[in-house]
Amino acid sequence: MVGLRSAHRSIDPPPDPVPLWALPSALPTDAELIARSTSEPEQFTALFDRHAAAVHRYLGRRVGDLADDLLSETFLIAFRRRAAYRPQHVEVRPWLLGIATHVVHGHERTERRRYRTLAKAAGQPEEHAADPAEAADRIDAQALRGPLAGALAALEPRDRDALLLLAWGDLSYAEIAAVLDVPVGTVRSRLHRARRQTRTALGDVSPSSDTPEETR
Amino acid sequence: MNELTALREAGPEAPALSSAARSAARAALLAEIDGPAPARRRKPSRRTTLRLGAAGVAVAAAWTAAVVIAAPDGPGTPADSVTLVDFTMPTFPLSLDPVPDGLRPAFDGDGDGASIAAYDDPTGEHGFTLYVGDDESPRPDEDVAGVEVAAVEEVSVDGRDAELVRWSQDWCTGDGLGEDCGRRAFTWLTWERSEDQWVTIEAHGRYRTSEQVLAIARSLVDRPQPATLDIGLAPAGWSVQFFKTGRVLTLVNDAYEQQEITVHVPLPEDVAPADQVRSSIMGPIGPQLDVVVHGRPAQLVLVDTGYLDQRGWFLQAQFTDGTTFTLQVPDAFTQEQVLEFAEQVTHRP
Repeated sequence: MVGLRSAHRSIDPPPDPVPLWALPSALPTDAELIARSTSEPEQFTALFDRHAAAVHRYLGRRVGDLADDLLSETFLIAFRRRAAYRPQHVEVRPWLLGIATHVVHGHERTERRRYRTLAKAAGQPEEHAADPAEAADRIDAQALRGPLAGALAALEPRDRDALLLLAWGDLSYAEIAAVLDVPVGTVRSRLHRARRQTRTALGDVSPSSDTPEETR
Repeated sequence: MNELTALREAGPEAPALSSAARSAARAALLAEIDGPAPARRRKPSRRTTLRLGAAGVAVAAAWTAAVVIAAPDGPGTPADSVTLVDFTMPTFPLSLDPVPDGLRPAFDGDGDGASIAAYDDPTGEHGFTLYVGDDESPRPDEDVAGVEVAAVEEVSVDGRDAELVRWSQDWCTGDGLGEDCGRRAFTWLTWERSEDQWVTIEAHGRYRTSEQVLAIARSLVDRPQPATLDIGLAPAGWSVQFFKTGRVLTLVNDAYEQQEITVHVPLPEDVAPADQVRSSIMGPIGPQLDVVVHGRPAQLVLVDTGYLDQRGWFLQAQFTDGTTFTLQVPDAFTQEQVLEFAEQVTHRP
């Protein structure tokens, strides 16, 4: 897409900004929607519209097709608990992912079974792409899939929660601590353990390197 | 690549969020928003739909999707004609042998089959619900408002480990705020009956003793049961979306999920008199036509659905025993096809 834009860039001076009919800043924030929803419950649907895809993606990576049901459960629980939401504690998206994480707990065996199945399936040969570069990427990813899924299946559920909220939910340490209701130090130790085990499972498949998340 | 990057780029992928799943979840939320708290249940004489146990959240999603129009975000184009073909309804995989006290089940399910069978006595005070699925049901959750877990026991069903939970929650009957509310106690039993077949029993009233629940569990046999509300025909390329409580069946156009067919057996008090059908429905754009279905007088009206410029047919007809049912189908059906479809609808309460 960037390339297309560059190829069709105009030599004329840029026009004045076109006024938007509804500026983003005019939209209520997530926290405002929750606050309003205590007296106007229908306001809560806007949060579903904003975050359903992200919550489903997080759930889907953990439990596969069961995510369809758990998406509904997550938002029903969130709606029932909205009066207890505290914006100064955590933002809405992490709050929802925290609820989703608790919902997954009821399906821990399903989740582990999914990882084990994926680990087994990753051992099967797959067709190679025609493009050598694409084929190399696929082989790299293929090499990681099995060990990764196996590592996730072997993790303690509490450690896995912390790791996946970080990796797939993009939550900070503080946010993970808030939604799991544990001290940040506990999050650090869980992540340390989970990452070490995952790294060990990857073995020589992928060299490790630090990321900014190490210090968040 | 470190392990976090590896998880993001090569970790398990999520299935796509389908329009139907999104609509179902949104509809369930809307139903929760519209409904009063605590969890409510209509009087037994009305539809016994919302089973509001911890295992019932997904059920609520399914039900509301059956009666609330999907959000207009799906791909495809609506069919402007249909071809009716023979159709076999999904079944519930298990039976009870014997069936306690002659109770009759009502099934809930989707295109893959029924996953819920509710056995209630006429008062609704005594009964139990069977849940069958590939995955274990979530245990009653004390984090859900009003839920209290009294005891958890490890038991055995046919040599397999099972978990038995005694719990209770706020429970209301009636349609008004705060009327007939109290606590209802349940016994919940779950176990993996066979490979990837998890069964959960949720019993109340006289069926919630441990002995009764375990007896029900041990009486299960692998004998599929047909749905209570059945159709013998369906448009080619359409499939079952949901069926609920033996009274509602929704089909969806696989190529355009906003296009639906609903078959409904309303409760007697919800049936419009034959001469008032047109005035009792929303958006009539044609006259009330007198037709015949199952050898009995029926009423057919062309309507504007008020949704995505879709028009449809509303039919009120009766089975041979006099029980009324209604059809809502898109105007892709010809008038003759509506009647042909209706003639094949059967109901075994």
